[in-house]
Amino acid sequence: MSVALGIDLGTTNSCAAIATPTGVEFILGPRGERVHPSVIAFPSSGGVVVGADAKRYKLTEPHHVIHSAKRFIGQNIRAPLVQLALTGVRYRVEEGPNQQPIVVVRDRRMTMPEISSNVLLHLKRCAERQLGTPIKDAVVTVPANFTDGQRQATKEAGRLAGLEIMRLINEPTAAALAYGFGRDRQQVICVFDFGGGTFDVSLLRLNGEVFEVLASEGDFFLGGDDLDRALGEVLAAECNRMLRVDPRPNAALMMKLMMGAEAIKCHLSDNDAAEGEIDGLEMPGMPAQRLPFQITRKQFEALISGYVNRTIEVTKQVLAGAGLDARSVSEVLCVGGSTRIPLVRQRLAELFKRPPNTAINPDEVVSQGAAIQAGSLVGNLTMGSGMGARDAVATLGHSNLASGNLLLPQTQAKRPILMDVNPATLAIHTAGGFTERLLDKNSPIPIERTRVFTTSRDNQTRVEIDCCRGEERRYTENEPLGTLVLEELPPKPRGELKIEVMFRVDADGILHVRASDQTSGARQEAHLQVLGAPVHEDPRR
Amino acid sequence: MSTPRADVLLWAQRVLAKAGAPAHELLEIRQHAPPDVVSEAFQRVARMAHPDLHRSHLEPAELELVTSAYSRVAGAYQELRSARQAAARKPAGKDEPQAPSIVAQRLSAQQKAQTPEAAGTPTGGASASMNSKALIHYRKAEMALRRGDVRGGVLQIKMAIAADPGSTFLRTALGEMEKELTKKP
Repeated sequence: MSVALGIDLGTTNSCAAIATPTGVEFILGPRGERVHPSVIAFPSSGGVVVGADAKRYKLTEPHHVIHSAKRFIGQNIRAPLVQLALTGVRYRVEEGPNQQPIVVVRDRRMTMPEISSNVLLHLKRCAERQLGTPIKDAVVTVPANFTDGQRQATKEAGRLAGLEIMRLINEPTAAALAYGFGRDRQQVICVFDFGGGTFDVSLLRLNGEVFEVLASEGDFFLGGDDLDRALGEVLAAECNRMLRVDPRPNAALMMKLMMGAEAIKCHLSDNDAAEGEIDGLEMPGMPAQRLPFQITRKQFEALISGYVNRTIEVTKQVLAGAGLDARSVSEVLCVGGSTRIPLVRQRLAELFKRPPNTAINPDEVVSQGAAIQAGSLVGNLTMGSGMGARDAVATLGHSNLASGNLLLPQTQAKRPILMDVNPATLAIHTAGGFTERLLDKNSPIPIERTRVFTTSRDNQTRVEIDCCRGEERRYTENEPLGTLVLEELPPKPRGELKIEVMFRVDADGILHVRASDQTSGARQEAHLQVLGAPVHEDPRR
Repeated sequence: MSTPRADVLLWAQRVLAKAGAPAHELLEIRQHAPPDVVSEAFQRVARMAHPDLHRSHLEPAELELVTSAYSRVAGAYQELRSARQAAARKPAGKDEPQAPSIVAQRLSAQQKAQTPEAAGTPTGGASASMNSKALIHYRKAEMALRRGDVRGGVLQIKMAIAADPGSTFLRTALGEMEKELTKKP
């Protein structure tokens, strides 16, 4: 039996699981942990350390610890949001070929897929140790609003880790799958996925084994990281005021404060106030200092309300996009660690007039869905109990594969059908700076559309087709994806040349554009290279 | 597995043979079918032919065939759905101010006939933002651009501005076109 891994590759934490006849089994780290920090350290002692162990180095060697790589993977480094996010990290990032970000650690230059492949490789090794069998196939989840370049880069990371990525699936869709698989539900649900670095919200119609995404929206630069930073800034100001040292230029000090902020945030999810001190603050030229703090949940909520408002706004947008009323949603799933914040749950309850479903484990449900999809794709999915989300919470211990002697129906399960959507409108540049849409936002994938265009001038021998992503009518207000060029076209009067442009979004959500000249016997074709997508620095590779 | 492999392959070949056919034919429904019939037809296709259902038991080439056919049907479904949504939005009058159809597509003309929803892009925004004399020149500019005559279009836009010097709409349009001209001398 071939085993395929389901992986939730997160901004701050990752999680992996496999579907077994007894249910979904989690892949454990070296210390038995189910959640693996997406942190990679390159310590001075040499080697590469990944996961919980790598987190330690954050304090001692902040410049050599790569975290939040998902915020940069497949991104164009010149994008303003990327530049903003770069101010929040302590490792060095430079511009590489095709405007992709390159991490520089100890004179090693690594692309973002190379960085992320370390996390995938770590999970693969943990799984191989746990299951005692080599693993080569996986399903990896990505935020629903991930762009083409980000998806391609994530696949590249899998390839570098020696995994065949059978499919990229969207995180909210995976969560819905874990919730609904094998339960024959007929309802409309909302998946609210507020993670460490990204925010997504999807509406799905569940109809037995069919999971149809009706609409999806999100913000891939909004997550728990931003909340930590908001609180960290307050702590930094406090440090400046009380200890008379500005910690901002000091990487190690800031890191310590950020970690403190994260701990305070988590504490405030269960308590009304947090009081204590952050100790061991190493200041230049004096002994280690302590920073006392006292913060109430109310104060914290005031600090983050802007971010939370944004998530609620996006949720309203997605409802409008699907043409649905909040009341027609019969379940709201909370996914991602940031949904533990009481303010988030409260605002969701206000919007949907019903308490959100918090019975699922927000850190693990996505990897469970990925595992179910992986099992389905390799064709060994059986209908065990405990496949989906509800039972996962009860599974406190580690369910061993070998001990699966429960009486379970071993019938072939009905395979789930995921009908996911394309997250943004895809268009091409036409004369005068406008766009012509080829694929609309929220259209089902995989999808293909072909349109025929023609030249606008006599004897035009060269056509450039600029592709972009976004909802605006003006080309420049959208995000450019790249340009396709057809050259040496036969000179013809305008309007006579037929150029066929095909847009295809595959099941992974990756765009393929092909332009071909239909008139000349020689069918000339061009394919799109997306800006920010991974290309190798070293041509030999 | 619910569908015998031969069935789905036959279906895929049938769809691929209909390249260039109108959307409703790809979905195998009648023309102007109501929305629920359209979405039901697509769900039926998904239950039978979604490529994920066939990944583990079809040859790669066969799977490619099914994927390609499924993708085209999805495209047809989207086309019908977005045409309906566009139609539903219009009477509500809540349409955002339409960007001007000042330009014929850089590569256009052909496609007007091909896709009815792209034809006759409304210029309601244009008529509201200038006086009637300017509008006449503006329409002429549009026609010039449809012919691919950018210079003629610029001339007409300039005449429109002369007729209505206060219109910012026209000035932006002129800016766009001049940019287009410098890009492709």
